[in-house]
Amino acid sequence: MKISKILSAFLAAIILVACLTSCNMGGNNDNDDITDLTGTYNVTMWVSEKEGVVAQFKQQIAAFMKANPGIVIKASIEGVTEADAGSKVVADVATAPDIYCFAQDQLARLVQAGALAKLGAKAAETIKANNDAGAVAAATVVGTLYAYPMTSDNGYYLYYDKSIISEEDADSLEAIIAACEKNGKKFRYALENAWYTASFFFATGCHSTWTMNDSGEFIGIDDDFNSAAGIIAMKGMQKLAQSTCYDSNADDFLDTGAIVTGIWNSGAAADYFGEKLGATDLPSFSIDGKSYHLGSYTGNKLMGVKPQPDPKKAAVLSLLAQYLTGEECQKQRFESFEWGPSNKAVQASEAVQANESLAALAKQGEHGMPQGQIGGAWWDIARVLGAKAKTATSEADLQAALDNYDAAIYSWLNIPPEKR
Amino acid sequence: MKRLSNLDYLKLNKWQAFWYNLGLFFCAIPLFFKKLGLGILKFFKNCFFALRDEFVDIGSTFKRGNWAVKLSFFIFGFGNLFYGQILRGILFLLFEIVFVGYMLLPNGGIYWLTKGNWFKVGATVGTVQTQHNVYDEVLDSYTTIWGDDSVKVMLYGLLTFIFIFAFIYTWRLQVKQCRICMDITAKGKKIKSGREDMRSLLDDQFHKTLLALPLTGILAFTVLPIIYMVLVAFTSYDAAHDGSSNLFSWVGLKHFNELFNFGHGGLGLTFGEILSWTLMWAFFATFTNYFLGMFVAIMINKKGIKIKKFWRTVLVMTIAIPQFVSLLYVSKLFTTSGLIGRILDRIPFIYNYRTSNFYVSLWDSPTLARILLIVINIWIGIPHIMLIATGILMNIPQDLYESAKIDGASSVQQFSKITLPYMLFVTGPYLLTSFVGNLNNFNVIYLLSGGNPIKGTAGGASVGHTDLLITWLFKMTVGSPESKYYIASIIGILVFLVVAILSLIIYNVIPSTRNEEDYK
Amino acid sequence: MKKQNDKKIRKTGLGARASRRISNTIIYVILILITVVWLFPFVGILLESFKSETNMQTPYLLPREFGFDHYIRLFKETDFLIWFGNTAIMGVATAVLQTVFILSMSYVLSRLRFKGRKWLMNMMLILGMFPGFLTLILIYKVFADVGLTERMAPLGLIIVYCASSAMGYYVSKGFFDTIPKSLDEAARVDGATRFQVFYKVIMPLSKPIVIYTILMGFMAPWGDFILASYLIHENSQGMNVAVGMYEWLSRTNINTHYTMFCAAGVIVAIPVVAVFLGLQKYYVEGVTGGAVKG
Repeated sequence: MKISKILSAFLAAIILVACLTSCNMGGNNDNDDITDLTGTYNVTMWVSEKEGVVAQFKQQIAAFMKANPGIVIKASIEGVTEADAGSKVVADVATAPDIYCFAQDQLARLVQAGALAKLGAKAAETIKANNDAGAVAAATVVGTLYAYPMTSDNGYYLYYDKSIISEEDADSLEAIIAACEKNGKKFRYALENAWYTASFFFATGCHSTWTMNDSGEFIGIDDDFNSAAGIIAMKGMQKLAQSTCYDSNADDFLDTGAIVTGIWNSGAAADYFGEKLGATDLPSFSIDGKSYHLGSYTGNKLMGVKPQPDPKKAAVLSLLAQYLTGEECQKQRFESFEWGPSNKAVQASEAVQANESLAALAKQGEHGMPQGQIGGAWWDIARVLGAKAKTATSEADLQAALDNYDAAIYSWLNIPPEKR
Repeated sequence: MKRLSNLDYLKLNKWQAFWYNLGLFFCAIPLFFKKLGLGILKFFKNCFFALRDEFVDIGSTFKRGNWAVKLSFFIFGFGNLFYGQILRGILFLLFEIVFVGYMLLPNGGIYWLTKGNWFKVGATVGTVQTQHNVYDEVLDSYTTIWGDDSVKVMLYGLLTFIFIFAFIYTWRLQVKQCRICMDITAKGKKIKSGREDMRSLLDDQFHKTLLALPLTGILAFTVLPIIYMVLVAFTSYDAAHDGSSNLFSWVGLKHFNELFNFGHGGLGLTFGEILSWTLMWAFFATFTNYFLGMFVAIMINKKGIKIKKFWRTVLVMTIAIPQFVSLLYVSKLFTTSGLIGRILDRIPFIYNYRTSNFYVSLWDSPTLARILLIVINIWIGIPHIMLIATGILMNIPQDLYESAKIDGASSVQQFSKITLPYMLFVTGPYLLTSFVGNLNNFNVIYLLSGGNPIKGTAGGASVGHTDLLITWLFKMTVGSPESKYYIASIIGILVFLVVAILSLIIYNVIPSTRNEEDYK
Repeated sequence: MKKQNDKKIRKTGLGARASRRISNTIIYVILILITVVWLFPFVGILLESFKSETNMQTPYLLPREFGFDHYIRLFKETDFLIWFGNTAIMGVATAVLQTVFILSMSYVLSRLRFKGRKWLMNMMLILGMFPGFLTLILIYKVFADVGLTERMAPLGLIIVYCASSAMGYYVSKGFFDTIPKSLDEAARVDGATRFQVFYKVIMPLSKPIVIYTILMGFMAPWGDFILASYLIHENSQGMNVAVGMYEWLSRTNINTHYTMFCAAGVIVAIPVVAVFLGLQKYYVEGVTGGAVKG
């Protein structure tokens, strides 16, 4: 009769009890001598998914073990794009990897989710002493260091075709547009990506600074994109976006006359342009006779360590992260992948100084704006400005786009209009 | 609306008949809701009466039962053992022991239930908060002392609830069995032995054997997670409160308000926009495929067309090749530098529309992106309906066409008078399922446009013009900077409501001709 | 029948024949157009995979330099073989298990009458209306605890694919409904148990639907991306083809891996298409039956 029901209920009960008991068994390490770090550690890591990166990290970890006899690291390393690593970590901190690399804009969310361990006093000192100020600021939330800077190259600049654009023309947005239109080439600039959209606003002197509390939660914003200067910036974007040579896809090189992109495309740019490759800082645009030099965000890639219950492992991971972001490793990464170092000693080296792309990046750095910490929704809210500049036909349209931008940001921050 | 008699109906011309039917359809909707309401009322009434009968039966069993029956109220399976059903008795008894043991264990049922702070709005799920960044001076490093994981606390609490229900049910079951045994013995008949029990599992009770595995699967992997996610809608589970590193808490109906708030900070408007596009998409995606697929099937099946099998195989390729390969490739084809995108740009109309609105690529324009999606969906969807239509077309009695031809009907008339009504009649349920399938057509949207272009408006910044409810739900879990699981869970509930109401309306309002037992 | 028609046409004269010829020509033209449109992307992927360039969107279709470089790279430099193996294992296991689940459920609902049958069917209909994504978050958490994610993700995925698969019983139930009940009854009269009826009477008649179910189960894991990427959690040893290949289209990789993606796509498509086209007949039967019988 009901025998199968009873059987299944019984089975379910057994499974349940088995689950419950197994879940409550946590292993404890025996701690005989707490200052001795020797031992075997299983470390999971996420690094950039670019070809060859995982292999190089494996070598560097082997070198670390050689330098620290007694510490054995059993690492399993996966390639995960740095742009998404943060969202994947916060989705479930418990199963996140021990060490992961991420783009700095995700720092605040990671801190808020409790996914980053603070740096110890000594580690923090070393990092502050060896890395450039922008990189240290990028890894800091309200005065505390939470991550280890890996690169200082997350910025963008201009690659252009020397055969159609002269060095002089490359300084003017209008001249580049004219040259591209004339030759039927594309001017690639990802205006629909907030990271690039912002450059026009920085050009006209706008700023956007977020404030947050200790736990990494955003509580306010000081932002003047919606202003007279903002309208000028929108007009500048309009000039570019409404040209027939404009293309928002800046990861593709087909028919390219000029392209605004970053160091990660240096290989592709060299392949495409060959001899004709030119690299320099971003151009200026002029509205009503006044000229504005395009600004840019400068950013960093960071390495983070997940909070550990075991103090020994936490200490070892900190040592490992310091080593992997240290001078030697950054130098190797520059040599293999052209990643721009954040380490001051490597930055000063001859090879880095001579690199054309990094030189352009450095030149643009004079107009750069350190990225700091930015609320997550901003990227989606601000990227629409680029699209709106493209479709706008009147100044009223531009104003409407900026009004919408303002409303969206304050709505995200949950600040009602009367309290701004 | 007045129902016309058959004779009157036949007098109407085509348009009148169409409006008449449309009117009937909409008039039936309120009626349907009334019926639905009454049905729900009736359901609860029945539940109530059934429950009352159970209690009456339990009472009378206790009153008239002998001492063995009475004892089995407290010791599971005692009655079965007493009447010689050893196997059942032992299983029942074991169940009771396991249950009591589990509830009382130090980390058992009662522990999890108290940890969960169930139904206390404002209280956290779990009691021990994770301590972040505890400084260790000796090693100069920060460590974390992990506390409770809200997700686990909630899960084990839920499992415990289910276990308690199972306990009550089993208790009732064995008491009832015990009474039946008593009655049978009183009549002097023989009680089934354990061996007979086992044998009946392959015969009279064969359905239980066959269903055991599939039903366990459905319970564990569908029912349980769905109940769980419905509960999440009442918590503050999001990326900043992921359960393990920060506990989340019970918030009651707060988030439902957020979704139905059309003003500042509310998601109401966004939800409305997405819902309307979702319905629009499902409508166009279903009907373009349906009619074009039928059309293609008719063409292929026409007499005198050769290599029919070849044409079908060509179409079927889109089903055979994994969508993530074909769709990702196709989406790239339509960008400005993609092969088709470049060709389309040579068409003056499209070029003018694109450039005069300053859209760079076809995917950047909300309107063009939506049209593109519907068109590409035809490419994927036609083969299915083509196959189905082929099967059905072969079943249409040929003499219908013959006689129509003799009457001088043109091929258009043949189609509208014979083929179409027959198809609609037979494929009614298919249309419904494919409509529902399109409401939740994640793959096509996600792989082709990813929901873009982005709206960037207040309330859900990452939402795009081509997002369906289902892709929005996905964005609310891992696909965007804001992982708000509670919103995802509410959207999930709403998707369910939309689908359920639509299906119920369509099933009930359109005169249903099919009855399950009909084809036997 | 055909001859009769021909006669009729002959009677009605040359006009009808000519008009039929015209209409057939038009249909052929349309069908050829459809063929071109339908096959274009597949031919595109194939040609793209032979190009020597690695980047995306070269403005010509035919490879300028024809080569198998990407195929060689695929096996030498990437984990593609592992991904392919994982997916193939998942495909076979899912095909077998899912068939057992679905056939049990649909047979019971079609042939056996018991208390709660209607209720069961309604419950499954209602459950099917909830978006499946909702279950993902919890399943991931539990599986991560038990160790069925990351490297073991293929096993976890097989469980997920199969566990609730019985809810898709509709097509095969429709098929079982068409087998005359008198067959069962005759066997029952001869003293067969229900189990014997199931495997001695019904199963031999059900070859088409069994094959259809196996085919569906086999194909599912090849295209799954979302569920898989959730459980795999970026572990390259546990990936299926979709998750592994998706990474090649990321911003940093697309210019170096795009044509390799196409090459991998071709290799993935081969077994699936081969199996599918081989068993196409059964697929058609299943799809048509499912739609007509509801």
